[in-house]
Amino acid sequence: MAKIRNDYEHSWWPRLLQWLEDGSTTLDDELTDEIVESREGHLLPSHEDVAAHEARLEERHRKTLEDEQAMYDHAHQWSKTKGARLVDWIYRIMAVVICVSIIWVLLQTASYLPPFGSPDNPVNNEVSQRYIEKGMEETGAVNIVAGMILDYRAFDTLGESNVLFIAACSVLILLRVSSDKKHPGSVHQLEVEADDRMYEPKNDMILQHITAFLVPMILVYGVYGVMNGHISPGGGFSGGAIMGAALILYLNAFGFKRTERFFTFKTFKVVSVCALSFYAISKAYSFFTGANHLHSFITPGTPGMLFSAGLIPYLNIAVGAVVCCTMYAFYTHFRKGDM
Amino acid sequence: MLDTIRFIISLLLTLGGLFVLLSGVVGIFKFKYSLSRIHAGALFDTVGIVLMMLGVIVGEGFTFTALKMLIIIGLLWLTSPVSSHLIGRLEITINDELEKDMMVLDQSMVRHEKEGD
Repeated sequence: MAKIRNDYEHSWWPRLLQWLEDGSTTLDDELTDEIVESREGHLLPSHEDVAAHEARLEERHRKTLEDEQAMYDHAHQWSKTKGARLVDWIYRIMAVVICVSIIWVLLQTASYLPPFGSPDNPVNNEVSQRYIEKGMEETGAVNIVAGMILDYRAFDTLGESNVLFIAACSVLILLRVSSDKKHPGSVHQLEVEADDRMYEPKNDMILQHITAFLVPMILVYGVYGVMNGHISPGGGFSGGAIMGAALILYLNAFGFKRTERFFTFKTFKVVSVCALSFYAISKAYSFFTGANHLHSFITPGTPGMLFSAGLIPYLNIAVGAVVCCTMYAFYTHFRKGDM
Repeated sequence: MLDTIRFIISLLLTLGGLFVLLSGVVGIFKFKYSLSRIHAGALFDTVGIVLMMLGVIVGEGFTFTALKMLIIIGLLWLTSPVSSHLIGRLEITINDELEKDMMVLDQSMVRHEKEGD
């Protein structure tokens, strides 16, 4: 932002212009005129003349200041009144344009679709047949659903995981209370913690004992669901949800002090981003080699074994990690605004 | 003969479970105060569903599915009382007028006081 100057007349550029025009400044001219006028009768200007002259000078000074103020006000309020209206106007027009273009693209696509409900449609005679007949052979997954969502349509599942991640990011933006570790004790934060303390039955012996017994079982069951996603019903989404529920139960029983030891905001960031990146990179490799008929070190393996079905178990683990972290992040942010 | 007995036992268990579930639902909607409603709901969770599952187990025979159902019964017995306990404790923590809400008019006590006078 430029510095606001009050002595524009004395700066170099207008003085140069003035000098180029007539060799002196306007103020000097007026002063000389007045002095010449007042000298007509007397040698020295009278007191009245001096007072009137000073009053005129003050008047001029005040007027100049007012003009400047009006100019700056106009410039500053442009962004609030006229500028805001302009941006609003552009925003509306762009919204309409984008909506209409998306509608146009979608309608254009819809006109290329095969007729609805016709038995000759490719979805009726090729895809599902192929999934059922050759799914196990091609992907190595006994669970056909896992083979579909993590091999044939893995791109779609990557999008779903990203949707979860983006939802968690939105929740972070909306609900995160700034937790400055160096300056603790903002009033709002203290109030929140006091509230939590008052309404939550913490250090509940019954809940803690039951939780200590149940949480390992639930976690193991969630890991089982994730790891066996390609063999039996289950998979990354359901297993990850179970693991997230176990973490939430543990948090409810033992409080944030215990969970902060192993699950902080940093954990959430690292696990989510690593899992999504691993998913994207490994699947990109798989697609690249598959599309170009190159030799890939990913093989379907023996169907039914734990380490089989190529990438599917690892992708299941990635999806499960993202889902688990997202659920836990949702809960903590809706409850406390922090992890 | 044996099958008939098993069927009758299963039927009795299921009907008992249904009765408990029904009384639990009636209690939840009939009682005014939350602690009384917790009482009805806990009955619902612990006894009703367990009786139903035992009925199914007896009817179907002791298979691997029956084992899974026994595990579900154990899980319910672990979790349902704890949740009821937590709700009750929360009610006690946040309700300022607990004494007034929990006032019980014991008729025998009232009579005793009158006789004492």
